[in-house]
Amino acid sequence: MKETRPAIRVLLVEDERHIVESLTFVLEREGFVVEAVLDGEAAMQRLRARLPDVMLLDVMLPRMNGLEVLKQVRSDAALHALPVVVLTAKGRQHDRRMAEEIGADAFMTKPFANSEVVEAVRRVVAAARAG
Amino acid sequence: MARSLIGPRIRDRRRALGLTQASLAARVEISASYLNLIEANKRNIGGALLQRIAAELGLAVEEVDGAAERRLLADLVEVAAERPLADLGLDARSANDLAGRHAPWAHALVRLNRARLDREQAVSALSDRLSHDPFLGEAVHRLLTQAAAIRSSIEILETVEDLPTERRRRFVDIVAEESRGLAQLAQSLAAFFDAGHGARAVTPVEEVDDFLFDHDNHFPELEAAGQGLRAQAKLASGVEQGLIAYLARAHGIDAASFAIPASTSAETRRFLLAREAAERFERGRHLDAILAQARQLSSEAARARARRVLAGYLAAAALWPYDEFLAAASEARYDIEELAVRFGASFEQVCHRLATLRRPGAGGIPFALLRVDAAGFVTKRLPLADLPLPRHGSACPLWAVYAAFQSPGTLVRQLVEFPGGERHFFIARTVDKARAAYPLPRRTLSLMLACDALHADRTVYARGLDVSSGVPGVPVGPNCRLCSRRECAHRQEDPIIGA
Repeated sequence: MKETRPAIRVLLVEDERHIVESLTFVLEREGFVVEAVLDGEAAMQRLRARLPDVMLLDVMLPRMNGLEVLKQVRSDAALHALPVVVLTAKGRQHDRRMAEEIGADAFMTKPFANSEVVEAVRRVVAAARAG
Repeated sequence: MARSLIGPRIRDRRRALGLTQASLAARVEISASYLNLIEANKRNIGGALLQRIAAELGLAVEEVDGAAERRLLADLVEVAAERPLADLGLDARSANDLAGRHAPWAHALVRLNRARLDREQAVSALSDRLSHDPFLGEAVHRLLTQAAAIRSSIEILETVEDLPTERRRRFVDIVAEESRGLAQLAQSLAAFFDAGHGARAVTPVEEVDDFLFDHDNHFPELEAAGQGLRAQAKLASGVEQGLIAYLARAHGIDAASFAIPASTSAETRRFLLAREAAERFERGRHLDAILAQARQLSSEAARARARRVLAGYLAAAALWPYDEFLAAASEARYDIEELAVRFGASFEQVCHRLATLRRPGAGGIPFALLRVDAAGFVTKRLPLADLPLPRHGSACPLWAVYAAFQSPGTLVRQLVEFPGGERHFFIARTVDKARAAYPLPRRTLSLMLACDALHADRTVYARGLDVSSGVPGVPVGPNCRLCSRRECAHRQEDPIIGA
């Protein structure tokens, strides 16, 4: 029944390899199609090549940080409507406020529960599809 | 409060020794009527005459002029101004009693208060450190990231029942690896918190302040050693070349290794080289001999700081020999800019050297020195017993040292009067520290020399200014909390001490 719609494509932007591995495993088990990149510049390249349905974006990234990626996404006519879930570390209130201002759709605070991430991804995609 | 004690002290001691005014006056080679004026506090004395009188009375100069007691009094007044004591209504008169009758208790109070202030500073430094330290920020972020990786993997291991064996092993490996990383991180965090927070009674800066004050900011041994360094480094025939050659010859050091930036002014470069030479001169034995006697310096940090200050003193003594500098200062009527040109020194270096001309019997005008930054914070202080300078926070906003910021580079003079009637003469000017590369902000500080108003007319700066005792000075105070001028328009906070 779920499969009547095409699978939701997730771009996971995270430089911590073990988190990439476990989240990819969890999201794929839930039926998402996951592509992962390790830094901000690679994320922008992937987005411009092919727009996913949702992006899971860490803030502390090499080369271009997550906030800068989000800013570019929101100011780019082709990308600006992309639902984005931002991953921040607990206690980094400044990052969270900035991400809110720039236009993140949801936040996940590390260390998070896998089920919360899955739930957040579903929620922002559903909200985007509902218009 | 200051000089009022000297006359009665002399009189009391003279009477206790059974001397008449006439006989003491004869011994110190002044007239009996002049001694009478001194004992009645109608004449200010200092220098050689004070020394002779003290010697005849079998007292140390500090005992006669009461410098130590006045300082204790000033410290007590500072204690009384502390916020936690505000409601006790402590007043200056009772401080006088306490210092006079129970000096050890008064010292205990002062020391406790300093220890308390030190703790407050340590707490605020630590809390700053916790919120802004880059190492901590990075470490906490790593910790949370590792915790996230572990939690995520463990959830998979716990909740996915049909996990293939190979996958299961992989997630177990991840948990093991991240856990090891977490343990290492925890250890380095523990080490971070252990490092460098030993107990200190007072801050090193305060200990060094006390040390300098107790020596009246004058070190005869270093003046003599300075002559030796001057001769060995042949400074009379070229300062910079002499120092470079001396460092190479006597210590095998290439001056280039100090990496003094090319943008450093010639005056500063010469001083830095001289200080390097001074630290090494005769293996630092002159500095170490003084430090060995310094009971005020309890911490390593304070000793290191004091050693640096003494090396700077020795450098100044070598660059600008005492007698020559004093004679020139007197002849130029303390014209700082003229002395700067004459000795190839900066404005600040001249001010600093002037504040060290305190050889008993052959001193210059006793100057206090204060340096503040644009935010008003005191960054250097060499107080006088008669003119306590703020140790914490800022001084009275009316002081010339602050007015100097309104006209950078221009000398500002000021005749001031404190609530107790003490009159002082202030000379202030801004100085630029190091050249700033545009668009970085310039680092401008304000420097002030202060002396008793009685000495003002010995300086070029009193020219055209009536400094006689009948002329009112600008009404100032030490700072708002210690000032009784309730009507002052510049008041920022209520006085805490009774008038």
